[in-house]
Amino acid sequence: MAGSIVSIIGKYTPRDKSNLIAILQNVQKKKGYITPEAVDSIANHLSISRSQIFGVASFYSQFKFYPPGRNSIKICLGTACHVQGGDFLLNALKSEIGISPNETTADGRFDLERVACLGCCALAPVVMVNDAIFSNMSVVKLKEILNQYE
Amino acid sequence: MSKQKNITAIIDGKPVQVRKGSTVLDAAQKAGIYIPTLCYLENLKSYGGCRLCVVDIKGIKGFPTACTTPLEAGMEIQTKTPALQRLRGEILELTLSEHPYTCLVCGDKKDCADFMHTTRKASTITGCNFCTSNGDCELQDLIETLELKDVRFPISYRGIPPERNNPFYDLDYNLCILCGRCVRICNEERNSNVLAFIQRGNNTIVGTAFNESQIDADCEFCGACVDVCPTGSISEKMGKWAGLPDRSTETTCTLCSVGCTMNINTRGNRIVNVGPKPGERTNPHQLCIRGKFLSPDIIHHPSRVTAPLIRRNGKWVEVNWDEAIQYTAGKLEAYRGNRFGMICSAQDTLEENYSLQKFSRKVMHSNNVDLYSSYPDKDLVMKIHPFLSSSFHGRTMDINKADTILILGADASVSHPLVENKIRKAFAMGRNILYANPFPTRTSKFANHEINYTAGEEYNFLYTLLAGIAAQFKEAGVVKAAKLCGLTEDDLKPFVEVLAKSRNLRIVVGDDMLRNGTGLDVLRALGNLSYLMGQKGKCNIMFTGYEGNLYAGALAGAHPDILPGFDTVSDAKAIRKWNHKWDAKLSNTSGFSCDEMLATIGKDGISALMIAGDIPMDPKLKKLKFLVQLNMFRTGLSDYADVLLPVTGFPENEGHFLTLDGTIKKLRRALPGPGKSKTIPAIISILAGAMNESGFSSSRTGVIWKEIESSIMLPAHKAINEMQKIQSIKPKSRKGTRDYPIRSNIPYDHFRYRGNSLTALVTDMQTLWKG
Ligand code: SF4
Ligand code: SF4
Ligand code: SF4
Ligand code: FES
Ligand code: FES
Repeated sequence: MAGSIVSIIGKYTPRDKSNLIAILQNVQKKKGYITPEAVDSIANHLSISRSQIFGVASFYSQFKFYPPGRNSIKICLGTACHVQGGDFLLNALKSEIGISPNETTADGRFDLERVACLGCCALAPVVMVNDAIFSNMSVVKLKEILNQYE
Repeated sequence: MSKQKNITAIIDGKPVQVRKGSTVLDAAQKAGIYIPTLCYLENLKSYGGCRLCVVDIKGIKGFPTACTTPLEAGMEIQTKTPALQRLRGEILELTLSEHPYTCLVCGDKKDCADFMHTTRKASTITGCNFCTSNGDCELQDLIETLELKDVRFPISYRGIPPERNNPFYDLDYNLCILCGRCVRICNEERNSNVLAFIQRGNNTIVGTAFNESQIDADCEFCGACVDVCPTGSISEKMGKWAGLPDRSTETTCTLCSVGCTMNINTRGNRIVNVGPKPGERTNPHQLCIRGKFLSPDIIHHPSRVTAPLIRRNGKWVEVNWDEAIQYTAGKLEAYRGNRFGMICSAQDTLEENYSLQKFSRKVMHSNNVDLYSSYPDKDLVMKIHPFLSSSFHGRTMDINKADTILILGADASVSHPLVENKIRKAFAMGRNILYANPFPTRTSKFANHEINYTAGEEYNFLYTLLAGIAAQFKEAGVVKAAKLCGLTEDDLKPFVEVLAKSRNLRIVVGDDMLRNGTGLDVLRALGNLSYLMGQKGKCNIMFTGYEGNLYAGALAGAHPDILPGFDTVSDAKAIRKWNHKWDAKLSNTSGFSCDEMLATIGKDGISALMIAGDIPMDPKLKKLKFLVQLNMFRTGLSDYADVLLPVTGFPENEGHFLTLDGTIKKLRRALPGPGKSKTIPAIISILAGAMNESGFSSSRTGVIWKEIESSIMLPAHKAINEMQKIQSIKPKSRKGTRDYPIRSNIPYDHFRYRGNSLTALVTDMQTLWKG
């Protein structure tokens, strides 16, 4: 576990902060998300603080700080989806699977993320599960769809 | 370098001349023209975040921010046009939309402030009346200046749970206006790097990695962020509800030998906080956890002794001063001479130690006077004396001016936080930091090269380092010495290479270098090192001693062999001089050191002790015939004491403190001592009087200071000695050297005041150590 992180980080020059993003990307590729242990190791290697690393990483939406679930739900809250009731969907989702955005269910079945526009506004509101887009969503439809994923 | 030039610009019709490179804001401030600011902080890089400092510059489109715009010659700047004021008002409205602003713009706020004070004690801050910063808040000031009457946006309350799980201060980021002052001071000025802006866009907030607590994020609890926050987001726990300070006293912290200047803000006889002056948040004096948080904690500690106590039939009885003094004086009469001993603290002022040792020598006829934290080797301080006279030229705050800093056996992060702060800053500035210590510490993170030598082999390490500099590493003796300290030539190479290039070296020497049985040899080696380096450029040595300033203690005469001003008891001329000055008959026999006093109790040595402060309990103390303790608290030691006299602490005292870089700093009284407590010189004065001795007639510190100033050479007046010559040194096996008890070697022990453990006294400290 820890060994693989060390081997990723070890490839970069110690104390050279300019590699931070690249290291984070590689860690995420390997681990699926940025673990607290990884942040520790990066901090030691680059001689910067954990807070600074977290500050940079959390600025970019590409980095996750929670382990990905088996299925990833992306709920769109872009302008069109928002107007079409994206918020209702989000609330329904929250009570259905019991997590807020940027969290993973305890059983690891789903993780949840909110996004701003998936590029199919005409079909709003839109939800994406893994690679599949579900359009013209309603609360009832949402529940049915979730049942298809284990 | 281009020559510094002045340039002239016109601000609000007034010509203003400032140095090239100044910003528009600098120029306006210099001309006394007020421009509202919020994120700007003197001495930090301009941030341009709040946009309140917008100005109008002829020929420049839009409204640039004054704090980030460099001034150019001939600029015509307006700072107060109606358009600007309107814009600022709107900016402030936007800022406030994320801050619970109800009270800020409430029409009844004046009456509310006058009559409804108690509403402040609420757990959720939903307006000024519930906020600790009420009355000392920059947002309130800005609303007044910009005459804002209403905010047109609804409050967007973040709903973040306030964090109260940290020691010393609470966080409520619902009040945060993201000015970034705390983040910048923690990163740029303190180089602690605990705080960062996390998340993005609307969710941006100040925080730590994974929202861990400040303890887990390695916060030093220096309190700098608390001091600079313009809102109530970060607030001290202590004094939180004490109200606004009505007085601010500038004094000196004596908790370590850095001797920081501090502002103690009081309301009546209570410390509200320690930090910047109220209403002047910018550019506060930097302090550390001890100065900022522990000094009020010990001053208002519930277990302070406030009346003299005498032990009667095994029980403490409160008595008045008359009785306490008569009793003590009567008892002490019987122990005049060598059976009496006096133990003082290096955290006391020059006046305090001067009076204590004078009492011991003149009244008690005993040279048994020493600091509790004195070096195990009595002669060491005497040998450091000529050293410092050639090295006192580097100021602590200038450390980062050196091109190279060599840190030897010091863990400044706990012993002298502000010295370490300067080291970190120097590292960030690209200076060379060489760190040699038996084990890695926090400083390791800020070192370019580190060597971990075997503990106890400090001397052999210095020997190998010197040999390395002289390119004699291959010699048999050197190889042997290197082996003893567990090093190879390769370990030393980076140090030697950097030192060879250095032309301005600062050496920071920790106490562990000198407390290992080879202290005198180490000192000689240091002499050679500074001689070698001094030939190529500048070389200054700084000694960072435990628990205050040992050198200053000795300078005031708190040393068995040293009279004030480094006169010695074995010098007949000096004895004559002081006999004359004090109208005394001083003994010329060398006194006992603290270790010797404690070791000879019960034998034909010490029978009576006076201890100013605390020392760890030792069953041997039970054998004393008489023990007087002068302390702020009842401690383990008090179980063996016969009299306990309540004394004041440094914020309650006047006097002078000598810092480790040789500066004499003033202490001013911020508040009176509690109850019947008295200052040490006052107690000594009445006690001497009761024993029919004169010369202690005044309890006022000013008189004692005059006496000190007129009779000894203080560092500032001292002539610079010749550079010391190189002395021959040889590697040494530690076998056969006397092993000294290392009394204070664990980090906790740096947190002491007059021997009292601050960790034992302050519960927040215990939380911190556990964390
Ligand atoms: S107390 Fe000091 S170290 Fe801790 S967060 Fe504040 S500024 Fe940073
Ligand atoms: S906590 Fe205070 S100092 Fe820090 S960004 Fe917020 S308002 Fe500014
Ligand atoms: S660094 Fe030393 S002098 Fe400064 S506040 Fe801390 S303990 Fe006091
Ligand atoms: S706003 Fe949801 S798809 Fe564009
Ligand atoms: S003070 Fe200039 S932008 Fe904040």
